[in-house]
Amino acid sequence: MDCDDCLERLYQYLDKELTEGDVTVVKQHLDDCIGCSDHFVFEARFIKKVHDACAGDRAPFELRERIVLRLRGE
Amino acid sequence: MVAAVARRRGRADAGSSEGAGERALRVRGPRRAEASGIRDGGAVVRKRGIAIAEDKKPERLPGEGREPDAFEKEALSYLDALYRTALRMTKDPDEASDLVQETYIRALRFRHQFQPGTNLKAWLFRILTNTFINMYRRKASRPQFTDVEGLDEYVLYNKMAELRSPASGSDPEREVLDNLMDTEVKQALDDLPEHFRTAVLLADIEGFSYKEIADILHIPIGTVMSRLHRGRRFLQRRLYDYAKERGIGHGPRPAPQTAS
Repeated sequence: MDCDDCLERLYQYLDKELTEGDVTVVKQHLDDCIGCSDHFVFEARFIKKVHDACAGDRAPFELRERIVLRLRGE
Repeated sequence: MVAAVARRRGRADAGSSEGAGERALRVRGPRRAEASGIRDGGAVVRKRGIAIAEDKKPERLPGEGREPDAFEKEALSYLDALYRTALRMTKDPDEASDLVQETYIRALRFRHQFQPGTNLKAWLFRILTNTFINMYRRKASRPQFTDVEGLDEYVLYNKMAELRSPASGSDPEREVLDNLMDTEVKQALDDLPEHFRTAVLLADIEGFSYKEIADILHIPIGTVMSRLHRGRRFLQRRLYDYAKERGIGHGPRPAPQTAS
């Protein structure tokens, strides 16, 4: 596997959407290639950044109340 | 608004096909009766549901407060997730609340269509995205960012890597991420074309798999991958612009190349 093949699979690898066989091959390349390895680390941190920026947002209390009342059939 | 239309439609259907409906209920038995009672929020249908259920323990009386059952409790546990996704889809807190409320109304009305033991979170997100399309499609004629050139590149990483200087020990890749503010990430998400944004929200904020996203959005897995991957790159390009505006990653300037 060369760097282009590896980067082509970057997101699928990080999203845990590769087959076991592909994961092994990508891991092997990452062990040998510091350039790709750095890039993968960056993209993983980038995705986490996006997640953390939004994942803490909560529904307003007033909406929660409305939904709960509806769920109770009121 | 959608609920009102659906309710009106529910009443009209109930009124026009009352006789046939009654016959069908008798033939198909009590399960069907329960389903139709829950399915339609319309007064006529609900009344009929109670009348049919009279000889059994009534399961759902309007106006009678009760504790939510397991389905409802689990559905409620996804409220924050649905809301934050709705907020990024509508870009407006009030519209997000309306969208989420409508999602729960529909989920309750169609709960008989949910197969217990399957993925309730994905089912609710499917209702959310469908409802969004129905309620807000007309507004989607707002000008959208359509420049999708150059989305085959990992812009942010490549630009930052170019700035890296081993001699100074600088690490612009780390610096650029550490300095990005949540509000900038949200703004960049808001700037994404809708299709890309939805894929990124479902994958990166909510953690859905490609298959789940394909089911939620009714699109092939290949399309999910394309939208998600391009969406992330689009996002990076916007974030690179913000970083550039703030001078992030530009640490020490390179020495002038020529002395003459």
